[in-house]
Amino acid sequence: MACGLLTVAAFFAKDFVLYDFHMEPSDYTFRLTDQPRPDCAVSDVWFDYGDGGKELLIGVSEEVSLEDVQVYTLTADGSTAVNREELSSNQAELMSNYMIAVLPERLKDINGDGNPERIRDFARADIGEPAFNPTPQIFNCEDIPFELVFSERKYIRVFFHNQLLTEGEITVTSADGSSKIYPIDSRGWIGGLPIRDIREGFTAEYISENDQAVYRMQYALEDYPLGGLHFWKAQIPLLMVCALAVIGIILIQTVRCKTERDTPAYRIYSREHAGFYPGTSLLEKTDSRFLLIRWLCMLTGMFVLTYLGKLTGQGQVGNEIAIPSFACPFNMDQIVEMPCYYLSHLPNLLLRGGEAFPMRTVRYIVLFTVTLLLSFVFLGRILCGFLCPAGLIQDVMDQIRRALHIRPVTVTDRMYRILQPVKWLWIVLFFGAFFAGIDFCDICPLKVFNTAQGGFWTNLYLGGFLAVIILVGSFFIRRFWCLVCPLGYLMGLFHKYNLFHLKKDCVACTECGGCYEVCPMRLKEIYTERETENIQTVDCLMCGECIGKCPETGALSFTFCGKKIYSSDRMTFLSRYRTMQRKETPAEAKREEDHDE
Amino acid sequence: MSENGIDERRKLLFRQKSMRVASSYLRRIAALGNLPESVRPFLDVLKQVSVDFQPVSMIAERKTVGTFCLMVPPELVEAAGAVPVRLCSGSYTAYSIGDGIAPRDACPLVKAVLGMEEMGISPLYEDCKLFIIPVTCDCKKKLAGMLGERRPTAILSVPSSKEQDSDTEQFLRELYRLIPVLEQYTGGRVTAGTLAESINRRGYAQYEMSRFFTFRRNVPYLLYGTQAMAIMNALSYMPALEWGECLHRVNEELAGRLAKRQFVARENRPRILITGSPVTFPNIKIPLLIEEMGGMLVADETCLGERSLYDPVVVTDRSLDGMMRAIANRYIRPCTCPSFVENRQRIFRIRQMIKDYQVQGVICHILRGCLVYDYEYQRLEEELEELHIPVIRVESDYNEEDVEQLRIRIEAFIELIKRRDVVRKKSGEKVL
Repeated sequence: MACGLLTVAAFFAKDFVLYDFHMEPSDYTFRLTDQPRPDCAVSDVWFDYGDGGKELLIGVSEEVSLEDVQVYTLTADGSTAVNREELSSNQAELMSNYMIAVLPERLKDINGDGNPERIRDFARADIGEPAFNPTPQIFNCEDIPFELVFSERKYIRVFFHNQLLTEGEITVTSADGSSKIYPIDSRGWIGGLPIRDIREGFTAEYISENDQAVYRMQYALEDYPLGGLHFWKAQIPLLMVCALAVIGIILIQTVRCKTERDTPAYRIYSREHAGFYPGTSLLEKTDSRFLLIRWLCMLTGMFVLTYLGKLTGQGQVGNEIAIPSFACPFNMDQIVEMPCYYLSHLPNLLLRGGEAFPMRTVRYIVLFTVTLLLSFVFLGRILCGFLCPAGLIQDVMDQIRRALHIRPVTVTDRMYRILQPVKWLWIVLFFGAFFAGIDFCDICPLKVFNTAQGGFWTNLYLGGFLAVIILVGSFFIRRFWCLVCPLGYLMGLFHKYNLFHLKKDCVACTECGGCYEVCPMRLKEIYTERETENIQTVDCLMCGECIGKCPETGALSFTFCGKKIYSSDRMTFLSRYRTMQRKETPAEAKREEDHDE
Repeated sequence: MSENGIDERRKLLFRQKSMRVASSYLRRIAALGNLPESVRPFLDVLKQVSVDFQPVSMIAERKTVGTFCLMVPPELVEAAGAVPVRLCSGSYTAYSIGDGIAPRDACPLVKAVLGMEEMGISPLYEDCKLFIIPVTCDCKKKLAGMLGERRPTAILSVPSSKEQDSDTEQFLRELYRLIPVLEQYTGGRVTAGTLAESINRRGYAQYEMSRFFTFRRNVPYLLYGTQAMAIMNALSYMPALEWGECLHRVNEELAGRLAKRQFVARENRPRILITGSPVTFPNIKIPLLIEEMGGMLVADETCLGERSLYDPVVVTDRSLDGMMRAIANRYIRPCTCPSFVENRQRIFRIRQMIKDYQVQGVICHILRGCLVYDYEYQRLEEELEELHIPVIRVESDYNEEDVEQLRIRIEAFIELIKRRDVVRKKSGEKVL
């Protein structure tokens, strides 16, 4: 029934609005700037953005008037000119996220040799999230003879009279005002132009050999720097989800206490708030360096995937490299590609490079598929246990629960069976939503976390509510989402070929079930299996927690390429209790001596 | 003579006879030779219980709870402030009394318990003002009923299968129900703190026991298996921490012996594992016979031996409920008691022990009337045949009449292993 509800809700995903930033082009204001010319703008017309976002500013130097500026915008029908009167009355409406401002040809001495040069000035703005669109957006308009196009989140391509330039030189003035000459390479890119310069805004200057005219274009991508106003606004949906989750947790815990009030168990643990007396301690140290490594890996993974691209200013460096995990690709500065977007929007993968570059598309698709398959086959779900930021969030929720001394909900084998259809439904939704006209990202419960952490604005629809459910769920049931994760299921499919394995010595096992109790995926096979040493299943996250809780020497072990790197050990397990031994008091020692005599 | 007088005389006879049997067995345990001095405290405890009929000095001042079988969590009893003692008896004298109370085919252990209860002279029994009896096999089930008529008894329902999670959940609920009963008796309180403390204490005993078993595994041998069996038996009457501390001294002494290469027996003694029905002092005749006939009892898979302490409580959540859950799991899931419907674990456990202790022969001990173990014998025989490990089924009762017959069978069994060993060595095959 829950599955049915979820399916129906998925169809109306957009109607469940949790938070909307209103980021359509029509929500932007577009006006003349009164601020001084930015350092990167060499051209006499330039674009700039307001501080708080959703504001596009156009600026012109004193030598030219706004009347001369013609603005084009790229819509589904191709490039369209924007009405000049609207623009001068400051009431222009943005029709798309791509704008080019054009100045007519002028004569001006710019190199100071006394002879005026023929100059064409342009400015281009890619606004909002589409600024990160990997597909090149080309105006292809006769009125715009010189065009710069940002593609694949890292290159600038140069078009001259609608032809891709494959040779020549470009002078680039970057945000700090410095200039540098870059060659145009055979693929039409400005070779070696750092992404940081592209993001912060620059002007490219090209001198045509045919007519000795100077073509200049200022390019302004809407950038989302860390720590700015924009970044903090991006946290609003995340905070909303967290707040709702807190309410949900309190609600559930209250209901739980109410319904259990009459059970003998509740009477016992309600005496001390189901908690743990301060001052006494169960000798339960995390003696496993393995688990420490896992936490470090997850934290590093979260940091690298979320912030590294931003902090280094390199953006998406390895954008052909697909590393499957649920770090949201809407955090568009992720250092590598997260395949969940293209897997859930399969046709978009084919369109990615744009029709103009079939070879690029093929190259991308091949690299994407190969790296994806390699991760699936050789790494598999170890990425879930060691890398996935969504996994980290759930583990953190679990740790919070432990710190608050609240009882977990134990997933019994019966509940596990009930969750299976939910997993299948997510798999169907993951692959099928696009074809049913649903955007999977609208129902994805994990979109908000990484996107907001990266400082990107994201609208929350049904997925926002599901995110609340995931947070509440993982508070009570560790790795609640992983139990139904469709991407994780795909990653687990090739578990037989993984480099990392979980192995079991079936004879040594005493079936004490400690592994089962600690397993976040509640895999019962791990302790009931008696036939094969390969106990890894499609659901195993390879988090290795079971090994730390196994009291039998060698019963469970973690292998890499067939070599054991971490094994359970009885003495290691029990040595934590060694400290229980009482120190002999002098009186006792004396009595002993007397006894000996 | 008044009826009371007859009763007194009966009790006196009972006491004398019990003392004679128990002290002779204690002597024989010590007479095996090279008894480590640090094992004495354990034998003293056995002596106090079975020979002197005195309260065990270590727990004399404390409230005790009488428990049976493996499924009553001692952690829980200790957390409530009492000391759990295991009353499963091995007394031949009590057995002859109980013979008149229980039906003919009931197992001798239950008869002995009923006999002890009937005589009412053992302070160990009399001091327990609360019994906790798990419902495991049929005999224990009826025992629970019969003892329940005589004194306060809590019945602990044990699921008969452990396939489903709901089975352990049910046992968990049972344990929660037990807490108020225990608390009412002791006046103490089971809290997360006391429970953690008692898990720690028992964990310490398990730690020392694991060290002890690494010494036992040593070839040539550092200690006789019967003496080790006596140590494990003494756990029934001692608090876990104290037992662990005494065992710590044994470990120190054995470590010293190992360093000085001071062994009790040569390595050519056949290594034998005993499994099956409980072996309780003073019914320790089979382990004694094995070692007196030139074998070496290297390991045991019995519920008053290694199994009573072997599995640790694996706590995965530190809340009170988490610990309770861990305890419930520990006393159900790894338990190799044959009263469970499906018990393949026991075979695997024996296979692992054969590997760990390099066992050369298995003696399956069946108490007369102990059907559940008898049912599993055939499966055990088949499995061990695959491993080429000889196994014999030895049925015995709580009396000394069958000793000679047992002696012949065990002697023959040991000879068989020795001969196999010689044949293998000659043919150059690697010795197991």
